[in-house]
Amino acid sequence: MPGLELVASGLVGGLLLGGMLALIALGLSIALGVMRLVNLAHGELLVGGAYLGYFLTQATGIDPFAGLGVVAVAMAVIALPLHRLLVAPLAGQGMEAPMMTMFGVSIVLQNLYLLAFRADTRAIDTPYAGRPLQWGPITVPLTYLIGFVVSVVAVAAVHLLVSRTAFGRDLRAASADPVAAATLGVDVGRVHALTFSLGAACAAMGGVLVGTAFSFTPNTGATWLLVSFAVVVLGGIGNVFGTLVAGLTLGVLQSAGALVLGDGYRDLVGLVLFLLALAFRPQGIVAATAR
Amino acid sequence: MSDYALELGFRLLLLISLAEAWNLLAGYGGLVSLGTASFFGVGAYALVGLANQLGVPPALAVPVAGLAAAALAALMSRPLFRLRGLYFTVGTLALAEALRLFMINNTAFGGATGLFLAGDAPSLQSLFLMALALLAVTTLVMALATRSRFSILLRAVRDDEDAAAQIGVRAFRIKLLALVVASWLTGMAGALQALKLGAVEPYGTFGVQWTVAVLSIVVIGGQGLRAGPVLGAVFLVALSELLADWPALHLALNGLILIVVIRFAPQGLAGLPSALAQRRGRR
Repeated sequence: MPGLELVASGLVGGLLLGGMLALIALGLSIALGVMRLVNLAHGELLVGGAYLGYFLTQATGIDPFAGLGVVAVAMAVIALPLHRLLVAPLAGQGMEAPMMTMFGVSIVLQNLYLLAFRADTRAIDTPYAGRPLQWGPITVPLTYLIGFVVSVVAVAAVHLLVSRTAFGRDLRAASADPVAAATLGVDVGRVHALTFSLGAACAAMGGVLVGTAFSFTPNTGATWLLVSFAVVVLGGIGNVFGTLVAGLTLGVLQSAGALVLGDGYRDLVGLVLFLLALAFRPQGIVAATAR
Repeated sequence: MSDYALELGFRLLLLISLAEAWNLLAGYGGLVSLGTASFFGVGAYALVGLANQLGVPPALAVPVAGLAAAALAALMSRPLFRLRGLYFTVGTLALAEALRLFMINNTAFGGATGLFLAGDAPSLQSLFLMALALLAVTTLVMALATRSRFSILLRAVRDDEDAAAQIGVRAFRIKLLALVVASWLTGMAGALQALKLGAVEPYGTFGVQWTVAVLSIVVIGGQGLRAGPVLGAVFLVALSELLADWPALHLALNGLILIVVIRFAPQGLAGLPSALAQRRGRR
């Protein structure tokens, strides 16, 4: 059994990672809740955000966390034509066609990354990368804490956007009953486009944070997608607070798994928890999809 | 036949069998799986175990290895079927990724380097014949499954599970049977591939590329249509031969074709004649 300091640091690190997970999963969750879109390219959008952040930092020398807004806006803008060309024309054809289309997008993006940037493992560099933060027996990298704070702020911002603004009202209406919302003058197509865009922006921001705290390759997307799905299932679709709690929980459980079984098992723990959640606690989703 | 023709033929037969199995699930049962790699991989590892540990001859080891994949399907049916529709898809994807990560990290099955098959590999000729036998079995199973009462029940569950349950169809059992049969066929294909390579390792055997290939074949060929898998497999193998030197480009193009087919030809290549005829009739 590892020492107390290692355990405490591991669990706190997991909690901080869980905050980032929540932000990534939130993007997946709102696309699923509002558009009924299973965005299988979410992981590749995350990796795309990481590349944007990587090259932005390299080209301008600015701090990746300062560049976060730029990356989020850039990805949101890139996502708009993607939605218009690929997702919007399939509206009204059920959930399978858009899902498979996004699977196609994920294959295309993954291999375009591979062609453009090769399989190299990269990390976004910061002047304080690797600098530890010490608090009693707990030592965590500073980048984890910054990533956590940024994520929680971003999740709170999305929550305010959904619950307090005119766009949020349209979004909730389009999610609850698209036909009735359209009759009442909500431009459901526009809401869907902006929701997709918002989801992509969440993924891209998550990508920058992950790329700074850890590393990434063209193929890292799939694991993040699946762990995000675990968070969505545990937290309930479209439930912002539930997503945050589920993200933190999963982050801690993954770290506990990594401490007990070894670091290679970190992602495996997330996936097994996902399958267990599907088997034993799927209530959150059943309520949302049983319409 | 030349070695190249046998090699190509083996691959084509294997992919058609895999695609038929996937078509049974997705086309007839509405169960879109992204977990082909998990059942394929379990079949492959089971074959190596049977051959190395127990000395089972290949002709017997292949169908038995397929049973291991079928057992995995039965074991996982509860989480996979608990939620309807697209959660099955995401669940199967998670299963494949989880198994791959497990195999990489767990040293009992060779870890990241995998396992080698003891003894001499069968000749290309006999491998080709085994693949032919697998396709024959697959065709027989598909004929039974698509022309029997079972196919009506399966399609009823696909089209409206609640309505089917109302009139007394045991939806869970029907879906389970389809998944177990499809996984048995998929596992046997994995076992044959292990026999051919003489080795298994997690990245290749449990890799997502098998899932992508099979799904592309059926969607491009025509989902739920009898001729779909064959047309799709010929198309995909031809494409992969043309772009053999550029694997990343090949996969990117594969994904692009998938997107275009879903948008403009949802019935795939096999559905094109009837789609065109319909359009002409409308004019």
